[in-house]
Amino acid sequence: MPETDNAQTKQMQTGNPSRERILERIRTGLRVVVPEQPRTQANSERVIFEPITNPLDRFQQECVANLMECVLTSDFAASAQHLAEVLESLPAGEIFVQDDPALRRLLEPFAPARAIRWSNQGAPGEASQATVTLAESLIAQTGSILVSAACGGRGASVIAPCHIVYATTAQLVPDLATAMSGISQQGTFDRNSFACVISGSSRTADIEKILVQGAHGPRRLVVILQSGA
Amino acid sequence: MTQTAAQRFLEDAAVKSADLVHREIIRRGMDSYDAAHLKGRARIKDWEAAREKCQEIKREAINHLDRYLVQFEEKVVARGGHVYWAANAEEACTYVKDLALRFGVRTVVKSKSMVTEEIHLSPALEKEGIKVWETDLGEFIVQLRNEGPYHIVTPAMHLNRGQIATLFREKLDPAIASDDPADLMAVARRKLREAFFAAEMGISGANFLVADAGVVAISTNEGNGRLCTSVPPIHVVVTGIEKVIPRLDDLAVLWPVLATSGTGQGITTYSTMIAGPRQPGEVDGAKEFHVVLVDNGRSRLLADAEQREVLHCIRCGACLNICPVFRHVGGHTYGTTYPGPIGSVLTPHLNGIKEFKHLSYASSLCGACSSVCPVKIDLHHHLLENRRNAAEAGVTKSSERMIFRMWRAAMVRPRVYAFGGWSMRKALRMLYALGLAGTVVDPMRVWNRYRAPVPLPLQSFRARWRKDRAGN
Repeated sequence: MPETDNAQTKQMQTGNPSRERILERIRTGLRVVVPEQPRTQANSERVIFEPITNPLDRFQQECVANLMECVLTSDFAASAQHLAEVLESLPAGEIFVQDDPALRRLLEPFAPARAIRWSNQGAPGEASQATVTLAESLIAQTGSILVSAACGGRGASVIAPCHIVYATTAQLVPDLATAMSGISQQGTFDRNSFACVISGSSRTADIEKILVQGAHGPRRLVVILQSGA
Repeated sequence: MTQTAAQRFLEDAAVKSADLVHREIIRRGMDSYDAAHLKGRARIKDWEAAREKCQEIKREAINHLDRYLVQFEEKVVARGGHVYWAANAEEACTYVKDLALRFGVRTVVKSKSMVTEEIHLSPALEKEGIKVWETDLGEFIVQLRNEGPYHIVTPAMHLNRGQIATLFREKLDPAIASDDPADLMAVARRKLREAFFAAEMGISGANFLVADAGVVAISTNEGNGRLCTSVPPIHVVVTGIEKVIPRLDDLAVLWPVLATSGTGQGITTYSTMIAGPRQPGEVDGAKEFHVVLVDNGRSRLLADAEQREVLHCIRCGACLNICPVFRHVGGHTYGTTYPGPIGSVLTPHLNGIKEFKHLSYASSLCGACSSVCPVKIDLHHHLLENRRNAAEAGVTKSSERMIFRMWRAAMVRPRVYAFGGWSMRKALRMLYALGLAGTVVDPMRVWNRYRAPVPLPLQSFRARWRKDRAGN
């Protein structure tokens, strides 16, 4: 191994009796030359996914296909109004909200009506009725939201039966490729131990291949998508 | 005398292909998969380019496996995670078991992982008195039935709602009245919810290990994989060394292709990336994060110039779904962790060619598997190579070798061959006339016992050839 042979690696080896043996076997195996297959056409010239011309339209279409609710709002007040409506439709009980100034303001008019657990008080409780978070970005191609640990933690997008995401149209990226290079460029994993591309509510088709919405995670995924300030 | 794997395969295949209920369940399941898969493929502008791209990514990863694994390890360790390299199933199980005992783990929640099936991790933990919950609905169902998964993507594909409702009544709650899939899911959800919040350890597999980011990528629809990796204080990833890919950017193609091939979705609902244990300032996540990299025969495949590409497999299940043999005999008949074409290719490498050479013949060589494989593994040719390897290794039956020697001797002597053909036609005609087709004295019994006898030609090919040539 090159320069990486530091104290940490040494320590890993002592706890890993097979590490060097496996690496040696891999290196021995790789010495066998496998003939390269001729390629039909340079892959870089070919377009795999249809380029996305209108990210907002595409995102909304994909949300429908993914059985998500996407509501386009014109300003902050309209977003707050819609959030209040969604929360009112839910059964009584605590909700969990990512501790963020924008979300605190968004919830202000509604706050007294039900108990709120903020993310700075710990992970969402098992019985939370809903979680409200921000997203890192929205992906038009697949109708997905990208969340990270910074969006209220890992459980914030999966524990409650309803997950509400507050986002703006400025957060839309056209496709997965842009989203993934964004993660690399912004160093998302330098600051987070977790990220997830979420494309719809939780589901299963394990019984007779019949789609059931709401498996272990949320039955409802609501995106409040704000176009103005 | 105990049955060999080959004898068991033939017996089970005969039973399963005559089981009409099973056939109906599989037909319906596959029909619905076929429709979704075709629709999913149509969403990708250039499917062939996508396959080639995925093949390229996996080839690059496998051809530099040592480098990418070490890169992945460094990143994980730098964030406070642990990486353990296990040469075989025993080492992997011992590591996870010791970890569980060290932290006093009583309950484990597991999301789907074929590698844990391969190394028999759950029985190893249960022997220590640790309760293991499978949390994927399909896995949960087959666990209640004490079976292995029937299919690598949909483990309970062989059961209908009625059978599952009966199982749940027996094992979970006699008061369950409905057999509606949504209600059955709700029962499982309630039961498993307790497990998620009681468990001290979550075990998951990995769909991809991303080298440049040190990230474990896990695709799940139900959210069980999310809960297993978010709630318990310890998270253990058990996966094969071949799962590594070079770059985070590669997921932009691999995720849609995996989902399309696996279920026909554009992307799996939760495409999760875990980069280590809970970091300072984070709300939740496991404090202990361990990745167990399992070799278990994989590094041997690297040295196989013909079949190294078998390590490209992303376990989407597309080759199972399209395989006419799988569709008739079903997943359990294979008697292996990995069923279907990929299992038939892989199992002789992992578990020995002598015991599993028969799987190379569980194929019509139609090539449907190779045509759908999203990483373009030439599966049916690898089955042919395994047949040859078995013959060369001398592990074939002596009767088989004798018959082939006789056949070869006849092939190089046209008169002997012609005489053989002539006597076969005469003998079979007589047998059929006596009504003995398909009985034990019929050499064509394997075919004829369930079918109308193969019609016999009136003259040999040689005779027809001569006549046709003379006619010109």
